[in-house]
Amino acid sequence: MNLVFQPPAPDHVPDELVVDFDFFKVPEDVTDPVQIWHRLARDGAPPIFYTPRNGGHWVFLRYADIVEGYRNHEIFSTRGAQIPPIEPFPVLQPNGVDPPEHDVFRKILAPMFTPLAVRRMTEGLHRRAETLISGFAGQGECDFIADYAAKFPTATFLELFGLPEERLPEFLRIANVFFRSTDPDIRAANLLEIYAVLEDLFREKERNPQNDIATTVLQARDVDGNPFPWQDIINCGFLLFVAGLDTVTNTMAYVWRYLATTPDARQKFRDRLDDPAAFLLAIEELMRINAVSNIYRRVTHDCEYKGVRLRKNDRVILPNTVANRDPSIFPDPQTIDLDRKVNNHVTFGVGPHRCIGSHLAKREIMISLQEWLRQIPDFELAQDQEALSVFGGSVMGFESLKLRW
Amino acid sequence: MRVVANLKICQGHARCEDLCPEVFSTDAVEGKVVIEHPEFPPELEEKVRLAVRNCPEGALRIAKGDKA
Repeated sequence: MNLVFQPPAPDHVPDELVVDFDFFKVPEDVTDPVQIWHRLARDGAPPIFYTPRNGGHWVFLRYADIVEGYRNHEIFSTRGAQIPPIEPFPVLQPNGVDPPEHDVFRKILAPMFTPLAVRRMTEGLHRRAETLISGFAGQGECDFIADYAAKFPTATFLELFGLPEERLPEFLRIANVFFRSTDPDIRAANLLEIYAVLEDLFREKERNPQNDIATTVLQARDVDGNPFPWQDIINCGFLLFVAGLDTVTNTMAYVWRYLATTPDARQKFRDRLDDPAAFLLAIEELMRINAVSNIYRRVTHDCEYKGVRLRKNDRVILPNTVANRDPSIFPDPQTIDLDRKVNNHVTFGVGPHRCIGSHLAKREIMISLQEWLRQIPDFELAQDQEALSVFGGSVMGFESLKLRW
Repeated sequence: MRVVANLKICQGHARCEDLCPEVFSTDAVEGKVVIEHPEFPPELEEKVRLAVRNCPEGALRIAKGDKA
């Protein structure tokens, strides 16, 4: 008997479009959190459906609708789109605002994340990966998340922001609480701590400008030559903190879990160590199949979309993993084909909010894998797949991933 | 053969540059596509077509004849 209070769907949602689905909950028999999404279509959920869970929200299950959710900001806004709704929530710059307002901070950040800018980071990323991996390669085992996948992107963030490496443990701790805690009091205290850290950081860069992202954002000027509001600057720092850490960590966890259990794939990547273009093509397929993010939008006004009545402030989830395995777009979508030729996955989104860090993220994953395979060519899971502790939510992944070699 | 880009649609995924760097690069300001060699030689046709098909925004197309 289900004794959990379940609010009814609102009046504008017809019964046949209601499905009871909680995207934060991963049932015990599911070893891979993305499967909760792929079960939906298999179990007959309509391609556009409504769940009353988590404050109530729509779910899009077709590639075409997910892409429309990204591109059509006249209907689907990023502003205040959190699920479950959190109000007030900081307006993250530029991710939390729609065009044309979005273009202002996007343009400030864009030059620092172009393929050209990321190529200049290559050497430093290789060094960091090599050093981290050689720290445990001789031990024959590690917890991949704690020992590598959480550290690497966080250390990269520190460097981009011109912060000293000694602060890595502090940032790992606050990031871990931010991404994993479900306790409202701990979360509130953590948010205050993050904002205090960012405040200190930008104040310090004001006194002591450096060649880093924090200084660039601080020194940016609007069309009239004035500095941007302090709160926007802090919120831009906050966005870069939340967007580039957990996503990369969990994508890496997925990739390493797959490679630990798939000797053929390890061989294919080892064969491509001296062929970066072929290596990158295979990484692209791992990006398609391991899409960890579920993206939120908020409906801007009462309207009808594909025959479904939407009401102002309705929330919508765009699950990238579902778009990336839509059989009408990807032949044999569940198969991991490291030579897949046409691969228009939406792991980094599409449209004006395309993940600005996508080139850095891909480069971080590619370089990590190259350095890893050079030092640890073969490895396996040191625990049963069934025993992996997994989580759902806006970013899906694993609590830990024990590997041995 | 000639390849053209719609810069209003391009969002800087840079898949074209990854797949066919002989013809495509990206700019240093917004990271949008720069077509270095719009009129590409026939031996690159397959790579260019693949780049066009892999644009997640559909911002690239191959123009027929000489006209863009």
